[in-house]
Amino acid sequence: MMDLAALSARALAKAIRGRKISSLEATKAAISRLVSCHELTRCIVALEADDSLDAARVADIAVAKGTAGGPLAGVPLAHKDMFDRKGKIASWGANIRADKPADLDATAIAAFKSAGALQIATLHLTEFAYGPTGHNYVLGHARNPWDPARITGGSSAGTAAAVAYGAIPAGLGSDTGGSLRLPAACCGVTSIKPTWGRVSRAGAMPLAPALDTIGVVARHIEDLALVLGLLAGPDPRDPAASVLPVPDYVARLDDPVQGLRVGLDEEVVSEAHPDVQRVVEAVLAILVKLGLQRAPCTFPDWQTLDHLVQLVQLPDAAAAHAAFLRTRPDDYGPQVRARVEVGHFIPAVDHVTALRARGTYVQRTLDRTFEDVDIAILPVLADPLPTIAELDVGGGSKVQAAMARVVKFTRPINYLGLPTLTLPVPRAGGLPNGIQLVGRPFAEAQLLAIGQAYQREVPPELARPLDGVERTSREAAAK
Amino acid sequence: MPASSGDPAPKEPVSEEIAAYLDMPRERRTLAKAHAAMLSQTAGRIALELPMSADVDDFRRVLTTQARS
Repeated sequence: MMDLAALSARALAKAIRGRKISSLEATKAAISRLVSCHELTRCIVALEADDSLDAARVADIAVAKGTAGGPLAGVPLAHKDMFDRKGKIASWGANIRADKPADLDATAIAAFKSAGALQIATLHLTEFAYGPTGHNYVLGHARNPWDPARITGGSSAGTAAAVAYGAIPAGLGSDTGGSLRLPAACCGVTSIKPTWGRVSRAGAMPLAPALDTIGVVARHIEDLALVLGLLAGPDPRDPAASVLPVPDYVARLDDPVQGLRVGLDEEVVSEAHPDVQRVVEAVLAILVKLGLQRAPCTFPDWQTLDHLVQLVQLPDAAAAHAAFLRTRPDDYGPQVRARVEVGHFIPAVDHVTALRARGTYVQRTLDRTFEDVDIAILPVLADPLPTIAELDVGGGSKVQAAMARVVKFTRPINYLGLPTLTLPVPRAGGLPNGIQLVGRPFAEAQLLAIGQAYQREVPPELARPLDGVERTSREAAAK
Repeated sequence: MPASSGDPAPKEPVSEEIAAYLDMPRERRTLAKAHAAMLSQTAGRIALELPMSADVDDFRRVLTTQARS
């Protein structure tokens, strides 16, 4: 008997192709698991059971006829609710939405459809994807499947919760300041934030287009590789989408990793909680066991990078929201409203200065940080997994400082546009956390090969409430 | 003296407040200004270091030329 929850998307696709299981059976089971996950975590925005079951029946007919050609034919998936789908309205996790259904599928959604994948639901996100914790004052806060009193991380909260629970093997997310990495780390799964421009953003909700990056959350590295291969490449609908050739990421998963040098900036990492520093060391020890070489490295002025990314992001987001903020300010949740407002106070000269400096800082990082290393390791979260209550700061005076601490190790990387792979750390029975590996531009294949080797040492897990937390967390969540 | 019909209409007073069009309580406005001022110090320092030729497109150029597949 197959444990469908534990399968990768790639393995499930193979089972459907080989008629070991039907797409209908797999989809029914995925819907059932997703509903259970939702009861625990609030991961669903909209369940699309009837449509996806119909699509599964069609997929099974194609399999029987031998005409189901896509690499994800008949595989049930679900995605963050911020991507256009023809004839539908994505919520963007907000009350404010244009009431006109999309004319076209987002390019990422179209890629999944071409691959034969089904979509069974749209998933929770922070309001307008503008928040790193999974708090959403409109939809309700997302809850962590390992301990529902704790944050999922955001903004791709529902995707990470559903993937961690085993409801789906993989799903789409986005990352402007950490929104793929933080939920992956908080929920104990993997994610790939590609190089800025590697994946088209066409049809995805814009937050801060100079930083927005579409990526994937999955339990298995092989699924990150498979899906990234589907998504990456040029797109006439997104002029920022790179024309550089797309490697065969799946074929490159077994590239040798021995001898690669992994850099640690001890000064930057020392700003994390001691427990987080210890998990970085634990992952480094595993990487060294795999044959990588540990080496020191230095990021150029982390604090400056953190300011520069805000000088880009705040006005970029404020501009995207300029109309809604002036005409319907009371329809925003308190936290997003407060954060969007700040962008209106950044002088245009400062914003453009940060944009003009970006090439210089990327070059400087490559010349200095990556001079003697192939990748760099950083924490994702600065602290052990926080509770929802600890970070329930709304839009008050604490919001900037609280959010800054959460994105301390993620946001500066968005300014640099570099690819990052998030890996879960060994839990040893405790709560999840994660680290990020940062690569050179377009070095996703190298990161994924390291991740594949790492998962042989630290296999994927299915998230379930830890002993002792379920009852108290359910009570807290019910309040 | 009464205004002649050819005089321009009286203008609304122009607020000198930044983003006066936003409905914000004073406390949040003060916090936003302070945050922007803090970031502005960094921008000012960076502006002194940057060559005049620095361009917003440098970012994409560097990513592409430094690509490692």
